[in-house]
Order: sequence, then structure tokens, then C-alpha cells
Amino acid sequence: MKRRAIIAGVAAVGAAAAMGLYRFTDLFVKHYPPTPYDDLLLQLVDRQQASRLGARLAGAPDAGTLAAQLRAGLKPGELGAAAKADAAAGRVMEVDGWVLPKTVAFLSALASKV
Amino acid sequence: MALSLAGSKIRVLLMEAGGINFDPTIQKMYSGTETGTRYAPLDAGRLRQLGGGTNHWGGWCRPMDAIEFEARDWVPHSGWPFSRLTLEPYYSRAQALVEAGPWIYDLKGNADNAAEGTVLPLNGGGLYTSWFQFSKMRGDILPTQFGNRYRDDLKRAPNINSLLHANVTAIRLGANSKQVERLDVATLNSHGGAGKHFTVKPRMVVLACGGIENARLLLASNDVMKTGVGNQNDLVGRFFADNPIPRDIATVVSFSGPLAPFYGANQNLSDGTIMRATFAPTAKFCRAARIGSSLSTIETPVELDETGKAAVITTAIALGVDASNAKAYSLGCGMELMPDPDRRLTLSGDKDALGLPRLKLDMRIADDDFARFNRTMTELGRQLLASKAGMLRISCHTRDDWMTRMDWGHHHLGTTRMSADPKQGVVDGDLLVHGVGNLYIAGSGTFPSYSASNPTLNLVALTLRLGDHLKKVMA
Ligand SMILES: Cc1cc2nc3c(=O)[nH]c(=O)nc-3n(C[C@H](O)[C@H](O)[C@H](O)COP(=O)(O)OP(=O)(O)OC[C@H]3O[C@@H](n4cnc5c(N)ncnc54)[C@H](O)[C@@H]3O)c2cc1C
Repeated sequence: MKRRAIIAGVAAVGAAAAMGLYRFTDLFVKHYPPTPYDDLLLQLVDRQQASRLGARLAGAPDAGTLAAQLRAGLKPGELGAAAKADAAAGRVMEVDGWVLPKTVAFLSALASKV
Repeated sequence: MALSLAGSKIRVLLMEAGGINFDPTIQKMYSGTETGTRYAPLDAGRLRQLGGGTNHWGGWCRPMDAIEFEARDWVPHSGWPFSRLTLEPYYSRAQALVEAGPWIYDLKGNADNAAEGTVLPLNGGGLYTSWFQFSKMRGDILPTQFGNRYRDDLKRAPNINSLLHANVTAIRLGANSKQVERLDVATLNSHGGAGKHFTVKPRMVVLACGGIENARLLLASNDVMKTGVGNQNDLVGRFFADNPIPRDIATVVSFSGPLAPFYGANQNLSDGTIMRATFAPTAKFCRAARIGSSLSTIETPVELDETGKAAVITTAIALGVDASNAKAYSLGCGMELMPDPDRRLTLSGDKDALGLPRLKLDMRIADDDFARFNRTMTELGRQLLASKAGMLRISCHTRDDWMTRMDWGHHHLGTTRMSADPKQGVVDGDLLVHGVGNLYIAGSGTFPSYSASNPTLNLVALTLRLGDHLKKVMA
């Protein structure tokens, strides 16, 4: 994982803690069973939160389709750039009403399906 | 209207149906019926007393945007007979009358408020931070109530005679239907029944009874023109509009923590001006996305549900942003409706105490009005993401979602619309009723297409222009 992503991850854990989301034990690094999509899911610092969000994507395609679409555009370690590029290009979609970069929405939906 | 003629050579008779104070018996004259989309009762959104609706208005002021005067091909029936430039010379006087302080708005709003906090970076996209100013009556009473505030000025003006409790009940045209010959006027007795009757023979008449009542008087005055005065093209009462102001229609999250205070509350500047920020669409975005105008304003801090927290955490991590102080707010809005000829006022069978037929409002709001607004919200959400400043949740997806949050501005628009073409408008660009040589109409009922900006500042500017016009034609 790139340094930038780690910093972001730490900040996010801090954010989550500040918002009262985490129990003490949650602050330890989480481990997940391997999946065929780990190349993608590894980019999510907090897969649990992403999964909670992604489960709300109405009419989401199956995991294989989501993964194929994500792999076509998302390079390893480039989630931030992809998300920003999505927003700049207007590639946004709603999940439970939240306007999200498409890559974030799809990656979260994938997390909810494994 | 009367004040704009104060000190001129024109002798003015101001007839006001109400008194100085609120009187429920007089107010009852305003009641009517509503069908269709749930709307405020017709006697609730206006006041029949000197100063009218300004006795309970909110004082929110903002000039209309130039694009709102244009014929917009995606807004049916849109376009004023003139551009905003025509009203420009009157805005500063209107601003003084509504007592909203120096003209700042978008000219200096950002700069002046920068010291008080940061304007959200929105990356030059479809929406920008724009500004309201607020009416503030002398002595710090908010906002200016025209009756209270200007009563003495009316008394002092040697050429203005004011009659309170004088209800105009009919506009009587001459047999050729080209001129108003007289006005029938009546008072209510102490039991709320018909009191005294008299007539007035004016040289010129300006109807300034509000966007609903103007239409009622025209429609009810049907002895010579059977469809009502000025209604030869069946336009009077049609195109009624208001600004829907639903609450909590979206949630805005600021990643970096609390937004500058001027987003969620009125801000007092050192010179006494009161301002508040709002998100407005640019003209370029309105054209590209084919949307109507809207003004979206931060309301109150809100707690996010579990999905909301997950959305913020996941998105902030993805964007590489520290959201540890993230703060969420509800967003309310004021929307411009698309003009609709079938959203209309007609006369009902009921009559008031003076025998004037009451009104029936057929209220409608199209799903498309909501859909257009949600395109605006999607763009704001996109901008927040692109600038890494935050994110947005759209809360309304069904008609029910909208209607449970619905409130109305009580801005009565469109019922006596303005157009140079008599087939498209009740009044012309000078507010003269088409086909009647001495009858003018003042107020927001003349707005042919609308705006999301609150109407009063704009209708006052339009009325001042009418004052200048009358001085010219009556000289
Ligand atoms: C709750 C509320 C909040 C509002 N907030 C805002 C705001 O924040 N910003 C904004 O810009 N606007 C606001 N408005 C709208 C604002 O009040 C109106 O735009 C404004 O009052 C319209 O002015 P008007 O003179 O055209 O009509 P009115 O204010 O309706 O005045 C019409 C006058 O005509 C008199 N009249 C009626 N019928 C007759 C008759 N037959 N004979 C003689 N006299 C008659 C009435 O008694 C009244 O005095 C608000 C309205 C309401 C109800």
C-alpha cells in the first residue's frame, strides 16, 4: 500500500473513532479471508464500512461484473486518483442517496458481495 | 407603489382593504378553496392589512439573476419582455425601501465574509456560493413591515390620500371596454357584513392587491368583458406559481469540520448588513443541464445513520482526505417552478361578505420540477467530491419524499403575466393591461417566468419602474 493511502487510512480510522464508530478492538488491523478480488479490495482501508455502504447500491451487478469493470479502470494503489477523476468527469452515482465517485460505489458494492 | 409617486404632481388615492392591524374578520375575505397538490390555505399566505404580506414576511432578499429574464428554451413560456438591465436602475432604491443595507450580494459578499470563515471551494462547477441579504427595519426590528414603516411617509405626502378599510369590489369598464370608468368600493360593517358602498372615478388605476387578489378582481369584474377584465385570452389566474421551499432535502457533509457560520445562520456584518450564504446554479450550468433556478441553504447540523457514516469514511479514505472532524448538515431549498397554465386560479361559486366570488386554486407541481432540482443536487455533490471538500446525500426520490418535506414561500407569481404579446400576457412590459388603456398591475403576479430568489425586492424594483412610467405618461 502506498504511503499516501496509509495516511489516509489512519486519518479515516481517526475519523471513525471521532464519530464514535469504533470499539477499541476495531483499531487493530483487520484480516479478511482471501477472495478472488483482493487485488481490488486491498485498496479499501476499511472493507467493513465500504461493504455496509456498498450493500445499499440498488441493482448492483454481480461481483464478477463489478470486478471486471473496476479492473478496466482502476490501477493498483490508485483509488484516490480514480475517485477524483470520476468526480471531475461527472462519473458519479447514488448509493442510498449519497453521491459517490463511480469507482468508490462499485468497489464498495464489490466489498458487500464477498 | 404610492410612495413612488409621493411628491409628484399626480394625485394618488390609496385604497387599502385592511386596517393598520390584523383583523380576522377582514382576513376572512381572503379565504378560498384549494384542490390538487397540498398548498397553504388561500387566507394563510397573505395578510389583508396595510403593508400586506410584509407584516409577516421573512425579509430574505436577493435580486433575480439575468438568465431568469431570458426566454429559456427548456423552460416553457419563459422570458420577460425586457432583460435585467431594465430593472438595474431601480434595484438600489428597492434595496433602500426594503432596508437590506448596502447592495452587497454577490458583488462583495465573498470578500466581506472571508474574514468570518471560508467559502466552500466548489471547483468552479455548476453551483457557487451566492448571498442573501435581509431586510431590517429601523430599530433593529426584522424585517421591514411596509405598513408600520411607511405609514407616516404616506401621511406626510401632500399628494397621497389613504383610505383604510376600503375594499375594491369591482373594476367597471366603459362600454367600449377600453378604459376603466370607475371602481366599486365597499367597507365591512362591525359584524363583518357589507357596510358603506361608494365609487371612485380614476384617471389611472394600479391594482396592487397581491398576486392572488389581483387575479380575483379581474376575473370577478365580468359585467362588460364576460371572461373578466384583461382576460380576453384566458390568461388571468393561469400560470399561478410559488417557490416550493422543502426542508431537509439533502445532507451536506463538510470533511474538514464545521462550515463557516454564514452558511447555516444569518451573519451580521459590522455595518449592520445581514447576510447568509446559499448555493446557486450558474447560468452556464442552468443552460447545460436544462434546469430551473434554485437556492439551497444549509439548515442545521444532523447526525448520520450507519450508512451515512460508512459513506463518509469510505469516500474520505478513497479521496485521501482527513475526515476526522467531518460535520453533516441538512440542506433546504427554494425552487423555481416551470410555468404551467393549468396551475390556476378560477372563481368558485362561494361569495365573500361583499358579494365577491371567492377563488379556487388548482395547485400542481410536476415530477419534472423535482427531477430538475435533483440534477442540481447531483452537481453539488460532484463538486464537493471534486474539490475534496465534502459530499452530499440526496434525500428525496419519490413524490412522497418531497411532499412530506414540502413548505411554500407564499410568493404569489404568474397570475397576471407580463408579455409584449397580448396572446401570451395579461400586461405588457410597462405593466399596462392589454386592451385597457388606464389599468396597470403591480406585484409578482406579473412575473411571466420566475426565479428562486424571493420576489419582494424584485417586485419593488418593478413597481418603482412603474412609478416612473406613470409620472411620464401622466405628466
Ligand atoms: C410567511 C411569509 C413569508 C414571506 N417571506 C418572504 C421573504 O422572506 N422574502 C420575500 O421576498 N418575500 C416573502 N414573502 C412574500 C411577500 O410577503 C410578498 O412578496 C409581498 O408581500 C407582496 O407584496 P404585494 O404588495 O404585491 O402584495 P400584498 O403584500 O399581498 O399586499 C396587497 C395589499 O392589497 C390589499 N388588498 C387586497 N385586496 C384588496 C382589495 N380588494 N381592495 C383594496 N385593497 C386590497 C391587502 O390588504 C394588502 O395590503 C413572504 C410571504 C409570507 C406569507
